[in-house]
Amino acid sequence: MKRLVIPGEILAAKPLRLDDTIVENGKTCSTAIGLFDEERGTMIPLEGQWYPRFGEMVVGIVEEAKLNVYIVNLNAPYKGLIISKYAEGDIRSGDVIEASVKELDKTGTAVLTRPRVLHGGKILRIKPSKVPRVMGKGNTMVRQIQAGTKTSITLGMNGLIWLKGGDIDLAIAAINRVQNEAHVPGLTERIAKMLGVKPESINGAPEEGRHHVHQGEAQHVEEEGIQEPME
Amino acid sequence: MKEKKELMKEGKRLDGRGMGDLRHIAITANPIKNAAGSAYIEWGGNKILAAVYGPREALPKHISDPQRAIIKCRYMMAPFSSLEEHGRVGMNRRAVEISKVTKETFESVVMLEMFPGSEISIMIEVLQGDGGTRAAGITCAAVAMALSGIPMTDLPYAVSAGKIGSDVVLDLNKIEDNYSDADMPIAVNPRNREVTLLQMDGEMTREEIRKAMDMVIEAGKTISRIQREAILAPYQKASEAYG
Repeated sequence: MKRLVIPGEILAAKPLRLDDTIVENGKTCSTAIGLFDEERGTMIPLEGQWYPRFGEMVVGIVEEAKLNVYIVNLNAPYKGLIISKYAEGDIRSGDVIEASVKELDKTGTAVLTRPRVLHGGKILRIKPSKVPRVMGKGNTMVRQIQAGTKTSITLGMNGLIWLKGGDIDLAIAAINRVQNEAHVPGLTERIAKMLGVKPESINGAPEEGRHHVHQGEAQHVEEEGIQEPME
Repeated sequence: MKEKKELMKEGKRLDGRGMGDLRHIAITANPIKNAAGSAYIEWGGNKILAAVYGPREALPKHISDPQRAIIKCRYMMAPFSSLEEHGRVGMNRRAVEISKVTKETFESVVMLEMFPGSEISIMIEVLQGDGGTRAAGITCAAVAMALSGIPMTDLPYAVSAGKIGSDVVLDLNKIEDNYSDADMPIAVNPRNREVTLLQMDGEMTREEIRKAMDMVIEAGKTISRIQREAILAPYQKASEAYG
């Protein structure tokens, strides 16, 4: 049974090792608004900030091109940093880029690698906590939106989404709807109906592409233990 | 010295409340789209907007802390908010004080060490004041903070208690605040019952303070429930729409 929880709510009378919780006096307390599943012992945050983690794909805007580094705005309290010698091609200030997190320094600056400039298109800002839901289990949700709107979508784990081509307005409406109804079951079917496509199944072949790292809700179970590398 | 006013009528307060009764409280989630989280509270005659921005880069750079985030808080009363004068530009002595105590309340619950070098801004804007605005502001800002997704270990609430004649009363309104014998705003973290704000104007005995504390803790259950409902309302609305 899943239930909605608020910060400070006691989830269990025993210590649980979960994201977005703290253990105090042997009790587990939530630190965010989320969905807590008592049977499976999982916590899905519905609101949250983004922490850069190794290997994550991000979308950012180049803020400043210095002599040997590029400073990237990641829509987060942390700045991204690209060292010029690892960058291929021409990057200029104002460019939208896609890159992966290579390492984190102690102050929380994320060093990025493999940058790719994204030309044209639009940028959509969503809550970082909703990105796994926009991806869907095994990328089903994003594949479905791409199929329904013929828009090319690049998801950044930091909450920036780059869209180009096709029916962008419909794609934005669909993504916003996913964001607002992330916690309501049966979302994939509703979005499929909205876009007029067949609901994608999880068993379908995984899409070839660069954003395949996380698998929806399972993410939180997998990521136990490697949490907060910056602390 | 203020002139004495009759604040009790036939064992009840002027607005008909009993000694331990709260005024009507209603909280709306996320009225401000640009903020990370925001809330609007109507607490009796108080109308207060609170918005939380950040975490973002702390500026100017020298105020940032490399170990943790800093909180900036700005409590302001709008020029039209009350009968008394709040019309001058900028913060007055009272606003600076309330901003400081509000900031300290939130420093105890927000997990600042998660965002080194950044700042979190809390803006509290009183549109209409009717006594107990700092308490209502903290209650409202707590909801805004939760909605912003900034990790918190607890959801604080605040309410004032005071004394009229020989009676200990809860949640004083403007007229009671001005003419009562004592006024004591209290902020509490409900999970551990930690008191994070306690100010007092006037005089109360030890027993009266103890009684006031009990009233605050009891009323806190109601306030926490209203806060919880406000935070979860957008989610429940979406859930109900699709069964």
